[in-house]
Amino acid sequence: MSLCQNRLQEERKQWRKDHPFGFYARPQKNAQGVLDLKVWECGIPGKEKTIWEGGLFKLVVTFPDEYPTKPPKCKFTPPLFHPNVYPSGTVCLSILNEEEAWKPAITIKQILLGVQDLLNDPNPESPAQAEAYNMFKRDRVQYERRIKQIVRENAAP
Amino acid sequence: MSDGNAMEQLPLPTSLAEVEALIRALYQPNPPETISKIQDVLHRLQRSPEGWQLAQSLISHGEDNIRFYAALTLIIKLNRDSTGLSEDDAKNLLENIISWTIQSLADGAGNFVIKKLCTALVTFFMHFSHLWPNCIRHFIHCLDLGRGVPVDSLDDALPTDVLVSKLDRRKLRVAIWFATSFVEEVGKTDMSAPKFIQVHGRLVKNGPDVACLLARGFSPPQDNPNLKTQGEALGCFQAWILYAQRASPIPDLVAPLRQLVGPAINCFADAELFQATAELFSDALGNYSTFFTDEHYATLATLFESPWAAEHYQRLLHGNHQEDGISFGLLLLAYGDAKVHDLMRSVDSRSQRFLESLGGLLAADGYLVGEDSIFVPALEFWSTFIETMIDSTYSDEEEAQAWKPYAEQHLKTVVLNCWRKIQWPPAETFAEWDSTERLAFGDARKDVTDMLQSVFTLEGMSLVSFFVNLFLQALDARSWAELEASAFCLGALSDCISDEAKYDQELSKVFASPFFDLLGQAQGLIPLRLRQTGLALIERYCEYFERNAQYLPNALNLLFAALGDSVLGGPSAKSISTLCSSCRSILTGEAGAFINHYQTIRSSQVLDSLAEERIVLAIASIIQAVKDEDQRLTMFEELSSILKKDFELAVQLNANPGLLNLQHPDFLRGLDLPNPQSASPTEEIALQIALRSMRCLASIAKGMQDVKEYPVDLDGEPQSRNSNSRLAGLQENIMRILVEVQRVFSTSGEVVEIICNIFRAGFSETEPGPFVFPPDAVTDYFVQQRYETPRVGTLLSTACSFVGSLYRGPKAYVPAQLARLLPWVISILQALPEPEADTEISVNGIAFVDRVMSKYPHVLFHPHHAPLLEFFFLFSIKVLDGNEPLPKAAAAEFWANFIPLTQTLPPSSSDSTSSPDHVDLKQTISSAMAHLGPLIARSLVRNVGGHAARSELDKLCEPLKKLVSNCVGAQGWLHAALFADHQQDQQAEGGGGGGGNNGHAERVGPEERMAFLRKIVALRGARATNQVVREFWMACRGANFAYVS
Repeated sequence: MSLCQNRLQEERKQWRKDHPFGFYARPQKNAQGVLDLKVWECGIPGKEKTIWEGGLFKLVVTFPDEYPTKPPKCKFTPPLFHPNVYPSGTVCLSILNEEEAWKPAITIKQILLGVQDLLNDPNPESPAQAEAYNMFKRDRVQYERRIKQIVRENAAP
Repeated sequence: MSDGNAMEQLPLPTSLAEVEALIRALYQPNPPETISKIQDVLHRLQRSPEGWQLAQSLISHGEDNIRFYAALTLIIKLNRDSTGLSEDDAKNLLENIISWTIQSLADGAGNFVIKKLCTALVTFFMHFSHLWPNCIRHFIHCLDLGRGVPVDSLDDALPTDVLVSKLDRRKLRVAIWFATSFVEEVGKTDMSAPKFIQVHGRLVKNGPDVACLLARGFSPPQDNPNLKTQGEALGCFQAWILYAQRASPIPDLVAPLRQLVGPAINCFADAELFQATAELFSDALGNYSTFFTDEHYATLATLFESPWAAEHYQRLLHGNHQEDGISFGLLLLAYGDAKVHDLMRSVDSRSQRFLESLGGLLAADGYLVGEDSIFVPALEFWSTFIETMIDSTYSDEEEAQAWKPYAEQHLKTVVLNCWRKIQWPPAETFAEWDSTERLAFGDARKDVTDMLQSVFTLEGMSLVSFFVNLFLQALDARSWAELEASAFCLGALSDCISDEAKYDQELSKVFASPFFDLLGQAQGLIPLRLRQTGLALIERYCEYFERNAQYLPNALNLLFAALGDSVLGGPSAKSISTLCSSCRSILTGEAGAFINHYQTIRSSQVLDSLAEERIVLAIASIIQAVKDEDQRLTMFEELSSILKKDFELAVQLNANPGLLNLQHPDFLRGLDLPNPQSASPTEEIALQIALRSMRCLASIAKGMQDVKEYPVDLDGEPQSRNSNSRLAGLQENIMRILVEVQRVFSTSGEVVEIICNIFRAGFSETEPGPFVFPPDAVTDYFVQQRYETPRVGTLLSTACSFVGSLYRGPKAYVPAQLARLLPWVISILQALPEPEADTEISVNGIAFVDRVMSKYPHVLFHPHHAPLLEFFFLFSIKVLDGNEPLPKAAAAEFWANFIPLTQTLPPSSSDSTSSPDHVDLKQTISSAMAHLGPLIARSLVRNVGGHAARSELDKLCEPLKKLVSNCVGAQGWLHAALFADHQQDQQAEGGGGGGGNNGHAERVGPEERMAFLRKIVALRGARATNQVVREFWMACRGANFAYVS
């Protein structure tokens, strides 16, 4: 088995053993019902005591063949209103960037926790969509109302 | 020492007695500031040259705390000052520490003192491993002698096993403490760091001595039955296994350690050691299964068949997990996990019995997870087992699958046990659980869902039939918890089967059953959980209902009936919207009834606003499928007129707050919560009523979107659209409402946002519809908006989408709309106080112009627009020069498209490339480029010269490459830009912040700048330019890499 597959098996095992509260992460099944370890469907809950609390956001994590040398790609489906999420839904986060803070030792758990942190703590230094970034910078009240609306539409079951 | 400076320091003590007093005070209850003052002065003392002596003087003290402090001081001195010790000093020190350790043991010092001294010895080893390579054997030798002796004397000592056998139990225990601390502390350091390679190498050489030591440690004590060492031996053994696992396989270490497995297994028999032994084996089996040999596995397997194991197993199934723990179960599972491939393929009775016992772990007494803690780990094992089965089914030869019937037999037990386990407890029991237990229960059910989907891969139809039968049996017996679990499991399979008709016959047994009649009956008969799961089942099998329309009306009636329920309402609304949207064409006859349903509910209560949006979306999607246009518009009018009244009410209320009547549901719609904490101002209520209905209108617009796609005749006549005057009337009405609501609530950004959503819903449509407005009407709307309109940036982005939709439609419409929109867009940009004041405006403004340029350059470069364009070009150069990443990226893209435009010009509809118009256009663009080229070059050089962030470089390379490959003047412009610093220095400081007009390029010498220019010109726009630019940027950033990053 390739390094990538081995590592993903191990990640899966670790995740089953221990995962943070309210999150889910599982490999997708292909047409035959066989697991495709390289595409994971994940759920990220909004952090408690933040405006994101109560929401659950679906994230698709795609691992390249070169994983873990190269980082996976994380994409919110549908795309999320957030300063650091591209209009396509792809998350812009330093630990997911090969040229920045990605390290092969970073686990799926750390990635998902990192994305959860990012929700309430956007990084205005690297905006990815104009709409959320602009509102975050210029009209915080409106921004928070919008987030609350989004949380309602994506309420955790 | 910063703490010391911040507060008054204590003076250094002048006598030993004072030091002792300070240490005593340190371990007594004292205010934090006193403690930190004492710590500070003691630290200073420890670090001083007198520290060694201090330790020596205190080590034989009668008080344990003071001895402990002395040991600590030794560790600190070793870590700080070991380089100052000569080899002889170090040897003496080692003998002394060993002597002190043995003396402390003889004096009856506390274990914590002796353990700290062992740590001091390990610290010594880390710094002087070359002086003490055989530390374990030497330490045992000294223990035997009762004092520290020179390392050289080891040559004449007896063999290690003899030395070990001579130690009394107390000394033996100290030796094991040392061996444990030894491997733990060394294990914390980096094995591959040059500084530690030899330390690790020497540690490994001690392996056989450690094995000797532990062999005796594992043996039951004869001399002193109260002084057992097996517990210590287990801990030490586990630490060495962990080390051996982390180091790449070292046969010299693994072989002696393996000899200890047998003695360690014997510890299971001792009830006091059972827990620790089980943990050791679970841990090692789970993380390092190759450590064990076949013989070890066989021994464990025999053990698991013993009466002893049977007793543990029964206690696990029927005992109290909170009090007794689940170690035995985890041990079985770890063994199973380590041997899963073998177990699956073995058909012998021992393996079968073992697998049976693992299946039985899913059937322990008590509820998940609060009472039964073994279920979740056991399920994890079975999930692995099933995945192993799936892999082997696909990879093994057919004839090699003799094991499969056996394995499938186990799966049956597993599935049945899980079905039992996930049944909800009675409501009163559930109410007693805390939130963690409740969530864990839900999570365990989700894990079962995953497992069932994997089983389906193997078993297919038979698994579906299995649950259908359970469902029908439970229904007959009115066994609600079993019925719920069956429905839940069927729901879990929906992802696998709902789009395949071959399962419909089985599913129809469920959906035609009396269950759904029961659901429709008065509340109270069926527990809430079951109602929830039953309704969810309907939604999950949406595709089934598409194929079996006869069951659909009944299902939808159930859902509508549940809308008013505070718990079921939300999920029901969601189910309604999913079902109606995907089964729209078979539901067209129900549209009227659903509108009535909606109106009835509305008049009696205030629905959750999100639920309401979903319902109107559902109804609209049915209306969309009505074939007859007149009938369709009638239905639409009926639905939208309900909302129209809300808008009128909102507008009236805003004008006349006295109208407010909070007894009436129409007004209550303006309060988002059923019981608002504080009364909102009337204007806010009016706004909320309007917003809520606007959102519903946007949902209707979404529902009215066609799911099919139709071909578009790009060259068709525009007039063919909107020939229907009734439709035109409806559209005018909607537009009037939108404009009116925006006028009345002119400060609300949300109103604008929702209007944009409504427009966008129409943009994607190819067929006429109430929200597919005539382009003129949309343009009319846009051009009335001003810079002051809230969320004008979103309006611009909507205008970009509008242009996209125009491009997908008949061409004849387009130029006139663009010609009206362009001045409007640029007027908004002109109103910006500075280009970066609102990134959304600048990004979308640039994107808009880019879109116009890509297909209709003759509109953009129409002489009429010349002054606007002049502004826009300078604007987008300023943005390119600026600090905001998103507008900068948009500007880079714009220029990358602009620069090669003379080559890529698309022919406009009427003229060909040789027509006079076309030639004129080319000339206009070329002369613009001649003016703009030097400015673009300057901005790009400034950016790649260090001004841009690294992540922006690739985007900025695009216009740069286009410049080099398309413009004859490029080399000259870039040269001027690269060497602009001299002129710049002489001029007054101007422009953006940072290092002059060429960024930080002055940091690199003229030769490097010249070399950079030569390289990018020679590359002629090839991909390698990006790498060259990256290197140049790095050179310019130089030591100040972090600057403006």
